Amino acid sequence: MFSYIVRRILILPIILLGVTLLIFSMIMSLSPYERVSAYVKDPAQLKGGVAQLDALIEKHGLNDPWYQQYGRWLGNAVRGDFGWSESAGAPVTQAIRERFAATFEITLFALLPVILGGVLLGIFAAVHHNDPWDHISRILSIIGWSFPTFVFGLIVLMIFYGVLGWFPPGRLDNWALSIVNSPEFTNYTGLYVLDSILNLNFPVLLNALRHLVAPVFSISILWWAFLMRITRSSMLETLQKEYIRTARSKGLKERTLIYKHAVRNALIPVVTVSGQMVIGLMGGLVVVESIFDIRGMGKFLADAAQQLDYAGVLGGAIYFGFILIIINLIVDVSYALIDPRIRLE
Amino acid sequence: MSKRSLVVALMLMLLFVTGLISAVSNDTFVDIDMGNIDSLDPHWQYDSASAEIVANVYENLIQFKPGSVTEFEPLLATEVPSVENGLIRDGGKTYVFPIREGVIFHNGNDLTPEDVKYSFLRALIQERSGGPVWMLYEPLFGIGSSLSSISKELVGVEDPKELTPEQSAKVYAYLEKAIEIDGNNVIFHLPEPYPPFLSILVRDNGVSAILDKEWTIAQGDWDGEPTSIAKYHDPSKEADPLYDKMNGTGPYKLTEWINGERTVLTAFEGYWREPARIRTIIIRSVDEWSTRKLYLQRGDADCVYVDLQYLNQVENMDGVNVVKDLPRLSNTSGIMNFNIVTEGNPDVHSGKLDGKGVPSNFFSDIHVRKAFSYAMPYQIYIDEVVQGMGKQGRGPIPEPFLGYDENSPVYEFDLVKAEEEFKKAFNGELWEKGFEITLLYNTGNDQRKTAVEMLKYYIEQINPKFKVNVRGIQWATYLDKLSAGQFTLGFMGWGADYADPHNFTVPYMRSDGTFGGFKGEDYIKWARENVDPLVNEGASTADPERRLEIYKQLQNIAYENALDIYLYQPTGSYVFSDKVKGFVYDPILEPGLYFYNLYKE
Repeated sequence: MFSYIVRRILILPIILLGVTLLIFSMIMSLSPYERVSAYVKDPAQLKGGVAQLDALIEKHGLNDPWYQQYGRWLGNAVRGDFGWSESAGAPVTQAIRERFAATFEITLFALLPVILGGVLLGIFAAVHHNDPWDHISRILSIIGWSFPTFVFGLIVLMIFYGVLGWFPPGRLDNWALSIVNSPEFTNYTGLYVLDSILNLNFPVLLNALRHLVAPVFSISILWWAFLMRITRSSMLETLQKEYIRTARSKGLKERTLIYKHAVRNALIPVVTVSGQMVIGLMGGLVVVESIFDIRGMGKFLADAAQQLDYAGVLGGAIYFGFILIIINLIVDVSYALIDPRIRLE
Repeated sequence: MSKRSLVVALMLMLLFVTGLISAVSNDTFVDIDMGNIDSLDPHWQYDSASAEIVANVYENLIQFKPGSVTEFEPLLATEVPSVENGLIRDGGKTYVFPIREGVIFHNGNDLTPEDVKYSFLRALIQERSGGPVWMLYEPLFGIGSSLSSISKELVGVEDPKELTPEQSAKVYAYLEKAIEIDGNNVIFHLPEPYPPFLSILVRDNGVSAILDKEWTIAQGDWDGEPTSIAKYHDPSKEADPLYDKMNGTGPYKLTEWINGERTVLTAFEGYWREPARIRTIIIRSVDEWSTRKLYLQRGDADCVYVDLQYLNQVENMDGVNVVKDLPRLSNTSGIMNFNIVTEGNPDVHSGKLDGKGVPSNFFSDIHVRKAFSYAMPYQIYIDEVVQGMGKQGRGPIPEPFLGYDENSPVYEFDLVKAEEEFKKAFNGELWEKGFEITLLYNTGNDQRKTAVEMLKYYIEQINPKFKVNVRGIQWATYLDKLSAGQFTLGFMGWGADYADPHNFTVPYMRSDGTFGGFKGEDYIKWARENVDPLVNEGASTADPERRLEIYKQLQNIAYENALDIYLYQPTGSYVFSDKVKGFVYDPILEPGLYFYNLYKE
């Protein structure tokens, strides 16, 4: 297994090189005047006319041959400088670092309730196949899965902030942000929940938790529904296998049968989609971030792409490639852990 | 209840209770905007979000009287120069500013005339491409001048980044001659009279903001040496030392800046006037309207940015004060390209006068332009699309500038006249054969989309052989089409950089203006002869009566020749919590705020 992991990690740079080259060539198919729009963001900034546009193209080297531009970017990237993200107004590494913390925090808090809740509900529904509980959870899951996040998120925000005032948007209240951004508070990780514990600042901790409730809840509804359905169908299939029938006729306790024999086998597809889910969450959630006023990866990547901020897009691609490979690696390893018959070669 | 569940319940209760103390206190002001701040460097920034921060942290020599855009009052200077007080001399070519004493910067340094001189020279040397510094070159060194043109003329080097130290010193000596220190005065020497000069120097215009020389050098910016122009000219944004640092003399100092998330300003105790009443300003950026609205509703924001189409959602909200109908110094017009590049351009279709497309010189025909002008339903647009928040434009010059006359002729919406004009176009050939054209708008701008859709609707009614398409393109593609001369007709807006009609006649009318320059060879040739001399004279005539005459004439030329479709001049609005008092409208800063006057009760 060890050599498998090492091999997968060694492939990483090659994949990243390919991905960035691909994205770069796509960007380069646009004319220099299209690409200069990253620096002239809307018609109001068009003050100098064509002469200024030409000057900007010259300044940023947008007219150079593509291999020169890519080489310039790659040369700096190898040294750890991924360039300046015009859409974020910060160096790419800093922009990603700051936004990653917000996204990671939400993912972390969403993960446990979603996976646990989804899997348990799915098992529950499968075990109670075709009785009212099964029907209710199936209907709920269809509603949850088909409810658009932007509608559901807005409803959550309006009820829990607009009406009740319990869970405000943003990552922290203004007073808490002032504490977090002051020199007395050390930002170890950028995860406010973790940092406030490390700084022993409990008002900030509570505030951070309060701000997490609404976005985590909005995300969870969707994924609960999804994971529940996957678990349920996979579980149903397993429960009809012959070895389950054999075990049952042998007089095995129903509990042992389900949790020891069936669940382990049913979990493989669940692990696969959970991996996809984590990748999705880590890539950011444009809608949830916009509604809940959170500066995360999703909005960063969307803005960068929209503004043709190529440094931002390439940085985002590298980030994504990284996440993709690491998560898939974790998924592969957990296959082997769940099912000893699977060997990683 | 077990011990553990008790702890959990307690935690949850605390979670809610801490939430109840979140309303904004009276010495804090929370302003929720949209969009990123481009840069905190006053000489670099050129967008309204940055200008708001700069105007509250840095100061200029003078400012407008509250609510005015024509009358001035002193700020860092102790007097506003005028011919009467003898501080404007030599027929408008010399401006003298006595510098205020006892003013300190946020870091405690004293303001000196040397700081003033350094600030202007620093702006002139930095002159980043696409930036605002042209506003200083035009008055100080003549129309069309730039660091590049000066350096080319003096030492034959076109790119200032390639100046050797000796060449740099020569160029510097030339720049320095324009700004002289005499005792406690700073004196500007202009090559020609330039009446808009004072309106360029006012607060709200970062390009003339005053920096602390010592501090700026310590940050790694221009060292004040004549020989080092090459090193400090046109830096990239990230290499600009003042990108994320500020040290001005203004009522607020910068205490926190996380771009795209929040900016915090704190009242400056050592301010030379009374310190500001609101102690803390928090400016946040929230792109989603529903979220901004809830912040306002819950009392967690004192001012939010509201798009026109949502204004009716807040007008009757409890505890909210909407200030409306504020005249904005901007206008939106349909720009027509006199020579559309037809090669590889789908928007002109056949590219010929054959009924299946339009020829390159379609808009060169005055009758076509007039017909389009008559086919625009101005009042319907203003009432329906912008909710009555504006009025029809009368030419490039908006109210209240010199040359604007509310009785001047305009094109009314009149399809009969439009038909007459179409019949005259191309000697009747156009009417016989018909045409097909695609008009453009940049996606995301629904108001501009509706404007071209209205033109399509009415023009197609005039003659069944007229076919008008409407196409939305990404801003990047829009820019590309403009630069390639493939642009047909689209609506664009212009907002004042400074309060003077010159700032509107140049972009709209001059042959090298922002819009004029995109209109093609026919226009450029015509404008060089008929427009440019007048535009330039307007900016170099000290006599106010002659100026008035010139701007009236330019406004009339624009009308007679139907140069653009002058759609409308918008009015602005602000949405405050009703606790906020003391608001004074600042048209140049709009939609930003000058926080010094505000207080809450």
